[in-house]
Amino acid sequence: MTSLRDRVDSLLASLARAPELGLISILVALTVYAAAALPAFRTTGNADQILSNSTIIAILALAETLVLLTRQIDLSVGAELGLCAYLVGSALGHVGGGPPVAILMALGLGAVLGLGNALLVDLVRMPAIIATLATLSIYGGLQVVVTHGSQLYAYQLPHWLTTLYATKWGPLPAFACVALVLVVVLTAGVQMTRWGRDLYAMGSNPEAAGVTGLPVRRRTYEAFVACGALSGFAGLLYAAQYGNVDATAGNGIELTAIAAAVIGGVSLFGGSGTPAGAALGALLLIEIENILAIEKISIFAQELLQGLAIVASVAVYALVRRYSQRVGARRRRLQAAGPLSGAAVVEPAEAHP
Amino acid sequence: MTQTDRPPQAQEPVVELRDIRHGFEGVQALRGVGFAVAAGEVVGLIGENGAGKSTLVKILTGVLQPDEGTLLLHGEEVRFANPRAARHAGIAAMYQEPLIFPDLSVAENIFVGRQPSRSGFVDWSEMRDEARALLQRLGIELDPGTPARDLSVAERQLVEIAKALSLGARIVLLDEPTAVLSAREVDRLLEIVRRLREQGITLIYITHRLDEVMQVTDRVVVLRDGEKVADVRTAETSIRELVRVMVGQELAALEQRRREAKPGDDVVLAVHGLTRYGYFEDVSFQVRRGEIVGVFGLVGAGRTEVAQALFGIDPIDAGEILLDGRPFVPRSPRHAIRSGVAYLPENRLLNGLVAQLSIRLNMTMTIWQLLARLGIVRERPVDRAVDDLAGRVRLQRGSRRRAASTLSGGNQQKVVLSKWLATHPKVLILDEPTHGIDVGAKADVLRIVLEHATAGVAVVVISSELEEIQDLSDRILVMRAGRVSGEFVTPVEKDDVLHAAYGLQQRVAAGGAG
Amino acid sequence: MSLVRHALRWEVGLTVLGLTLFAYMSLASSDFVTSFTLQSLALNATVIGFLALGVAPVIVSGDIDISIAAMLGLCTIVMAEVWQAGVNIWVAALVAVVLGCVLGLANGIFVVLLELPSLAITLGSMGAYTGIAFLILGGSAITSFPSSLITLGSGLAGNAVPWSTLVLLAVAAVLAFLLHRTTFGRAVFAIGSNKQASRFSGLAVVRTKLLVFVISGFMSGVAAIFYAGYFNTAQGGLGAEDLLPAITVVILGGVSAYGGTGTIPGVVLALFVLGVLQTGLGVLGFSGQEQTIAVGLTLILALAVSAAARAVRARFAASAARAPA
Repeated sequence: MTSLRDRVDSLLASLARAPELGLISILVALTVYAAAALPAFRTTGNADQILSNSTIIAILALAETLVLLTRQIDLSVGAELGLCAYLVGSALGHVGGGPPVAILMALGLGAVLGLGNALLVDLVRMPAIIATLATLSIYGGLQVVVTHGSQLYAYQLPHWLTTLYATKWGPLPAFACVALVLVVVLTAGVQMTRWGRDLYAMGSNPEAAGVTGLPVRRRTYEAFVACGALSGFAGLLYAAQYGNVDATAGNGIELTAIAAAVIGGVSLFGGSGTPAGAALGALLLIEIENILAIEKISIFAQELLQGLAIVASVAVYALVRRYSQRVGARRRRLQAAGPLSGAAVVEPAEAHP
Repeated sequence: MTQTDRPPQAQEPVVELRDIRHGFEGVQALRGVGFAVAAGEVVGLIGENGAGKSTLVKILTGVLQPDEGTLLLHGEEVRFANPRAARHAGIAAMYQEPLIFPDLSVAENIFVGRQPSRSGFVDWSEMRDEARALLQRLGIELDPGTPARDLSVAERQLVEIAKALSLGARIVLLDEPTAVLSAREVDRLLEIVRRLREQGITLIYITHRLDEVMQVTDRVVVLRDGEKVADVRTAETSIRELVRVMVGQELAALEQRRREAKPGDDVVLAVHGLTRYGYFEDVSFQVRRGEIVGVFGLVGAGRTEVAQALFGIDPIDAGEILLDGRPFVPRSPRHAIRSGVAYLPENRLLNGLVAQLSIRLNMTMTIWQLLARLGIVRERPVDRAVDDLAGRVRLQRGSRRRAASTLSGGNQQKVVLSKWLATHPKVLILDEPTHGIDVGAKADVLRIVLEHATAGVAVVVISSELEEIQDLSDRILVMRAGRVSGEFVTPVEKDDVLHAAYGLQQRVAAGGAG
Repeated sequence: MSLVRHALRWEVGLTVLGLTLFAYMSLASSDFVTSFTLQSLALNATVIGFLALGVAPVIVSGDIDISIAAMLGLCTIVMAEVWQAGVNIWVAALVAVVLGCVLGLANGIFVVLLELPSLAITLGSMGAYTGIAFLILGGSAITSFPSSLITLGSGLAGNAVPWSTLVLLAVAAVLAFLLHRTTFGRAVFAIGSNKQASRFSGLAVVRTKLLVFVISGFMSGVAAIFYAGYFNTAQGGLGAEDLLPAITVVILGGVSAYGGTGTIPGVVLALFVLGVLQTGLGVLGFSGQEQTIAVGLTLILALAVSAAARAVRARFAASAARAPA
């Protein structure tokens, strides 16, 4: 016969272990509410827009998650996106090329940029936050330098790219399908392979990871390179979505990506969170943005709400985890001092209360 | 308690060290140490701090390479270039604070980096099953799915042992594993050690706890100043003998240091019905001026929790505290210090010392405000205070402006202790004050405690070393499962105290309540 | 402090770097050592300087505050609105400073009282403060501040040194005193090094950390006054580009990203180095973005050098270390 308190405790415990549950409930609740209250929300077109618009953020959030899991951070994903968007876009414009070539270029260039981050963290021994702060400046500066004050125009891009945003593959927009595929791939790669579990271990206890003999250095490189590659890929999609790419492309988007990951349950301390959660966080952010736009609430309110969402989710995740830990510790404490088993004593042990 | 006498399994020792020498600029840590360990043997490695134990451990685990000498494994000479090589050779080490991954489950902790996989993906059920089997084989009752974050220190150690075994370790070094465990957890660990021995695992047990050495080892190797000074079968020696060899002086000297002054009559600290739900309940006791009250019990009995509540770190749900007869509700450590209570925390590195800060600033942390004027620091009063305190605790010589992290464990403890002495407390609560420090520093700490008691300070000493508590205290309080289960006036039978700690019924109603 | 030795080495290196850069720039271009250029250098460094001074104690205490630029923006805009509503400019300036303290306190409440990670919280408050600023002002801008403010923000004392520089140095001196010569400052370092032990030792951890966040907000408020006085405009999103340089200055100044070490003089020196670098490159014809690249590279270089120095020292110390007991 479990008391109400026990039931609340166990609910909080499972929430602490899988914050995505809470996130999904909020997402569902919000969607249901909006669908009921706002006619403009209910259309397929709007749903498509939400899904498509959240793709780039979701991919960046996925990228960021790889690094966040190891208890590091990458502030340069926006700059990586912008730089790749422009360079790959112009390359496609000059040389032409189909999707495979474009994807390879984007991934490759992004990977190189990510490698820069990894080198700074590993060889120069810079804390990731400082290293990626530096590369944010450098890559952002390069972005301006390569654009030479002009920008990339949609007409320079291959046709298949510029029409991608509007395309649908089956019931879902193309963008959403891409995001979905990436979520599946990353979930498999991060949560179900040794490689991914190494990342969790690194973030959970960096010292122990080194001592245990995990290939920490290699994984750091791989995480930053993969993050860069995904950011580069997101850059390609950026060009597809906006057509025009100028020197400020991607400025500030890294914070939205980190916000999405944090809201999605990825801890900034590493060791917990899932790619799916990060993607859902992005979806939630964009859905909120969408609702605000429909309600004609000032676009300026979005940044405020995003900020509040981050503070609220961090607070809730932390407090839930803290509470369930305290409850567990208390229970353990009361059980700890029991009679010694197998002790060589003459008298029977006192009954345990 | 005796351990069964085991004949050596094989003629050839599984691990042998020959004439190991190692030094660090100017200091020779090991001067030609050599001994052999047979398969399935449990060898205790003891010695004072600085004797060379941890250097030896580092050499065996591949962290260091010896300057001279040879290391043999199964009769063959080996040289470990790095810890990985040692691990591959089947040597595993377990330290006091096991490194675990709090976000991963027990099973994943065991198999981290080498989880069983099927076509590239982790096979979760296989991993769980293997973990469960392994834990069962060791007699450890743990659910492999538990997140490691929820485990106690003792449980984490067990996970680490399981991990070592699953890595195929045949030689396990236990480096001071029991310093942070309760008596019951120690017994559990020693039981596991016995089980491991039954399975043919060779163990090297490094510790300061001589009673444990007597309980579970086959042989004891004693190091002093980098040399091996004894290598005896456990059955043929005693604690007293071991101490003599280790330190070169009798332990009895400490016993003689009973104070002449008797405690006063006025009660300085009175605690009535103190309760914190889930941690301790209905705790009542009194400490008089100049009295030393020892508090014994298992970890989890609530001793540290009571101390932390008295010091304002944790909240109190019920009960009252009287300081010099006046009600005292500690709001924070700051408030407690101002009221005359001082608390030396159990975990020196975590809660006691600010490693990056200088020695002098650490020593005066509690009185910075007092030594300053209107918040502005003045250096001379600080220096004066530091000199005075350093003399009292007999701190090792050297610049006081170096970072506190550069000191040895014993000196660090002295620094932390002096910080508390600086506050001129009415009540001094010490939580495991002689934990993990060498015998010399231990003696200094105990001497200071006695001096302060003589000067009229009410002292509470929380300790898991029964001998020490018996020697030091006027009265002994025993806690069990959050309650006071016994109160004795020394001298008291060791059995009575242990019965109260374990909650076993008294055989004869001698000397105390249940 | 034992860290004095470490700090001195860093500051010496910074001074050398700064003077070397200065010398190089003077030689490379005759336009550099003109009073106009140097004054521009100082004026441009003011806002970043205040932000850096504000966030440095936070980092020393073991946390971070990335909302400093957003606080700057919001304070400037509120000040502008208040002034535009007819209030005396100096009263409006006071409002900006008080608002800064309030915003900093809000950060502090979440980080210190609720014990939440500062990076995440200030990431959120950055968005929130920026959003509020936009909501207040919309897309428009407020300009043409009174000449008294302009004089403070852009004017020169004795026709030589900018007023803003004098104020900055004075504030830096006060902050240096606060951090290095008071028990409060020592507490900040202790807490940044080991918060738990500091708490157990009776230091007023909560109060100290709250104060540190308030100082950060205060400095953002002060920066707002000088922003308005120099750029003579207030619009949504202002100051966002100053976050990176401010953090760069702090790290370059020798403050460890992990907390517990660093000095205010170091931060001031780093500001000087950065100013020389950026202004010098500007005079040499490099664009703003190229300057930013140089800033990033300088940060990397500084940390690379310190990492190398640490490695070299460690190798010598390894043989010198006694065997740990």
